[in-house]
Amino acid sequence: MPHTDPLTIAGKTFTSRLMLGTGKYHDFGVMKEALEASGTQIVTVAIRRVELRAPGHDGLLEALDLGQFQLLPNTAGCRTAEEAVRVAKLARAATGVDWLKLEVIPDPKYLLPDPIGTLRAAEILVGEGFTVLPYVQPDGVLARALERVGCATVMPLASPIGTGKGLRTPELIRTVLDGASVPIVVDAGLGVPSDAAQALELGADAVLANTAIAEARDPVAMARAFALGVEAGRLGYLAGRMAERESASPSSPVAGVVRLPDPEVPA
Amino acid sequence: MNGEPHPLTPGLTLHALLRRLNIERERVAIAVNDDFYPAGQAPDRELREEDVVEIVRIIGGG
Repeated sequence: MPHTDPLTIAGKTFTSRLMLGTGKYHDFGVMKEALEASGTQIVTVAIRRVELRAPGHDGLLEALDLGQFQLLPNTAGCRTAEEAVRVAKLARAATGVDWLKLEVIPDPKYLLPDPIGTLRAAEILVGEGFTVLPYVQPDGVLARALERVGCATVMPLASPIGTGKGLRTPELIRTVLDGASVPIVVDAGLGVPSDAAQALELGADAVLANTAIAEARDPVAMARAFALGVEAGRLGYLAGRMAERESASPSSPVAGVVRLPDPEVPA
Repeated sequence: MNGEPHPLTPGLTLHALLRRLNIERERVAIAVNDDFYPAGQAPDRELREEDVVEIVRIIGGG
């Protein structure tokens, strides 16, 4: 498969523009195969308390060679900036990497991120040496503020986490893309490969998917399909789309058409 | 510890606690109050009342 142009985040270069989550898989072997089929180079993981009463419950990561990926630990479950900063420091200690998908989410129903808490936590964590990739609602003003405090990317949502509703916010994503000085990663809500393609066609630099693949009937095939969607979208973006028109424009020449003498054509 | 009270025996140290709980050292991190360590590199220290200990691991997530 031909690669498109590389993606650079915080000085690291990647050939894949598809990031994958590692949650919700029911089978470790399937997850491992799906990660391979996707060609992903960046995978998210979560941080949770060790279960002291029932040690050894598996989080489906035990046998995965995490060293082959750029790990992106998240702060999922954190409701405030303070919780996120604490989890970030635990994540750095557990993984040995300073990359962080920052999530500050007080709302359990729609899992919408808190923009104020996210910005505050981002500023603190950048100051502590983290490479911060914040999960946000698609808001160009917020995105610029996050860039100013030193975030490595901005990750606007397509639709709420785990819904699979696809890209419901394209006009707002445009406000994030327009004038961005860091890579923009559309995250959350993608359901099918064409959602990923649409995000890349708009000019997003990458996407992150999890549920769409983990909950597909065949996650390995879906992982491959997402990789193709991302590649198609990126190539389409780079190729430069045609201008839209309000009325049709014939694709065949209008001269030399075979005519009958007295056609009954509606006016 | 991990959000719940844990009995503190006199002289209990962090390493003794980790051994007692049979905590793995790989992909695990420990915080004692505001000090954060990879589990394999946490220095031993005597634990005191009011110390807040957090033991976490990496799991699958999105």
